[in-house]
Amino acid sequence: MPSDLSRLLNALGLVAIDTLLALAFIDQLWFRDLPCPVCILQRAAFIAAGFGIALNLVLGPRPSHYGVTILGAVAGGAIALRQMLLYIVPGSGSYGNEVFGMHLYSWAFIGFVVIVVGAAIMLFYDRQFGRGEPLSSRLDALTLTALVTFAVVAVGNIFSTLFLCGLGFCPEAPVGYVL
Amino acid sequence: MMSLPFVLFACGLGAAWLRQREVALGFWTAGLVVLLALFRAHYGDALNIAL
Repeated sequence: MPSDLSRLLNALGLVAIDTLLALAFIDQLWFRDLPCPVCILQRAAFIAAGFGIALNLVLGPRPSHYGVTILGAVAGGAIALRQMLLYIVPGSGSYGNEVFGMHLYSWAFIGFVVIVVGAAIMLFYDRQFGRGEPLSSRLDALTLTALVTFAVVAVGNIFSTLFLCGLGFCPEAPVGYVL
Repeated sequence: MMSLPFVLFACGLGAAWLRQREVALGFWTAGLVVLLALFRAHYGDALNIAL
């Protein structure tokens, strides 16, 4: 795989994660659907997974960077799966709004699975690792946008979580902002 | 406390931007450990099933 194609696919992957995190913010701010503690941890796991993609874009593709992505996504998938299992018994309720018939934690689980599969497929293309050239030496608009947006949503989640939970643990079902 | 993983990941992104790969991976590892510790703390949240 040429490094240009690798960069494009990594940038598109990071844009997809940016979009997911932005949609979570829209759901929180526009529809007043406050995230539960485990929901916040799933957001953090998306950032942990996207971190490896960001490393690919800034420092050049390496197998270890895809490992970072896979480990972050596996952690997030476990968290999302746990939340799905909490509500799997009929009559045990659910948390938050539905989007296209499924709750956000179900969509998050699907997202984490897609990330793991995508990173594993990218690992098949050995030629991208040969040049060792930092891709950031030739940052295009898409890559730069993906990286800046990723940093913005990461920092945005710091403030969002601080406003929601303060400096301690979050309530199980938050009804408002602490700060 | 809950914002700590985001802080660590953001610091890691900053280190990556400064080409400090090992530092970035260190922040990422710390962030993942904190994330899993917080998951353990909230493992049983909303487990309110009346059988």
